[in-house]
Amino acid sequence: MNTFLDMLWVEMRKTLRSRMPLFTVLGSMLMPFGVAFLVFVSRNPDISHKLGLVSAKATLMADAATTWPAYLTLIGEMIGAGGFFFFCLILSWIFGREFSDGTLKDMLAVPVPRSRILLAKFAVSAAWSVGLSLVVVALSLLMGALIGLPGGSTAVILQGCLRALAVAGLTIVVVMPFALFASIGRGYLLPVGVAVLVLIMANVVQVAGWGEYFPWAIPVFLSQPKLTLTAASYWVVFFTGLAGIAATYLWWKFSDQSR
Amino acid sequence: MSTYLIETQNLGKRYGDVQAVENLSLRVAEGEIYAFLGLNGAGKTTTIRMLLGMIRPTSGTATVLQTRVRLGSRQPWDRVGYLVEIPHAYPELSVYENLEAARRLHPGTPPAAVSQIIERLGLAAYAGRRAGNLSQGNAQRLGLARALLHNPRLVFLDEPANGLDPAGIVEIRQLLLELTHQQGVTVFMSSHILAEVARLAGRVGIIHQGRLLQELDVDELERRRLRRLLVRARDPEAARRVLASAGFAVESLPDGLLQLNQPACIEHPDDIASLLVRAEIPPTQLLVEEEELEQYFLRLVGDVK
Repeated sequence: MNTFLDMLWVEMRKTLRSRMPLFTVLGSMLMPFGVAFLVFVSRNPDISHKLGLVSAKATLMADAATTWPAYLTLIGEMIGAGGFFFFCLILSWIFGREFSDGTLKDMLAVPVPRSRILLAKFAVSAAWSVGLSLVVVALSLLMGALIGLPGGSTAVILQGCLRALAVAGLTIVVVMPFALFASIGRGYLLPVGVAVLVLIMANVVQVAGWGEYFPWAIPVFLSQPKLTLTAASYWVVFFTGLAGIAATYLWWKFSDQSR
Repeated sequence: MSTYLIETQNLGKRYGDVQAVENLSLRVAEGEIYAFLGLNGAGKTTTIRMLLGMIRPTSGTATVLQTRVRLGSRQPWDRVGYLVEIPHAYPELSVYENLEAARRLHPGTPPAAVSQIIERLGLAAYAGRRAGNLSQGNAQRLGLARALLHNPRLVFLDEPANGLDPAGIVEIRQLLLELTHQQGVTVFMSSHILAEVARLAGRVGIIHQGRLLQELDVDELERRRLRRLLVRARDPEAARRVLASAGFAVESLPDGLLQLNQPACIEHPDDIASLLVRAEIPPTQLLVEEEELEQYFLRLVGDVK
């Protein structure tokens, strides 16, 4: 346990000393700002007329999100798609930086089990992603209140927030395999490339009606109040996360590290 | 009987068609400084990585601190320190924080060890500086500090003098000698700086194209270096005739120099001087010249080519 806490300290220190947490917080804040702005535009025809293309986008994306439940559903969708990218980026940075900074070799011939080093990395990545999700949800509430959305009660808002956080939770689990891609690609490029591919595939699979079984489409599926996930979807998410952690461990333990 | 801290038997690594290391068998005894010499791409770093369990050998075995090395294993690294290739550190962490992170990777190392190694490696003035802002020499010191932080019994150092200024080289040499002589630490180092190796190492292994060409004590290395006697006289041709008639094999070099290789000449240049003086061709210069280590090394690997 002590060695795990030590590894946690090391990973936390590396994270907190970098600018990445700040960049991801600033970047993720654009999501609630953007959604609230579009909702605001779609609810104000006077402004909408003056904004042309932005107005069209606002109509397309946020026309239905003029109440608290609909707004929070849209936030949930944003977390499912945009959050996926941010969580991928966080995980890729935590794992990939050891390769790009050339520091991996210094944690290979050490008496600490590799499993603890990796668990600490996954734990910090998950904590960072959860923190980011909380920032997004809190800011969404603030923006919703500022633009004066109707139809909000404590129960409705609480339920919408919990759903958005549940979407974030599932997304955090399904991005675990990207640690393997960062390790195999020895940096950030491969996981980012795979993330783009996966998002395209998720859209195709969802249109085809198989979204509830495709791990990276399931979180967005959950964001829709009208749809309910079956136990099979949760198992798919669970096994995807587990497979990502296990494969990353096996790769770190058994692959040649010649650079 | 010597205790061997490193033993390899027919160790080899093949990458596709490339045989990076082939049938490498060596032993390093406790308390010695073993230098691994070779050109770039000779297989030095691949060997060190195999010894550290970072690369799986395609043939043979390696034992470090009496423990068979296996890929991804936790043993025997608690008493092993290393600096492989370019020393990298987390650029946004300070020198102190980088060493603290390294300390936590070696459970049981007391917190005070960080400050002690900072002092010892002359990094006190830079302890709070971000590692990304260090000069190459100080980054090398930080890498050495990380290797020595947990009081290891065996240290692997890949080009330890890289990036250090002359004062730094002397300082690190003193430190390594102190470690081996006073604390019995065993050092396995690779280097290109042959003169440095001669000053530091007890034994030398010469690797070329993945194969161990020679393994010898430094004294033996000294003996194997070619030596010659160079003679200069006002009349080189007359001097050559005198020496040749006395039974010496003489080679004429440009600039009127004469070269003699026989041990008798090299051991007793005074006899050559007497001979020439008696023949009324006194030498204007007598010089016993020893082959540079670099030349010896290149001659050796050139023979193999």
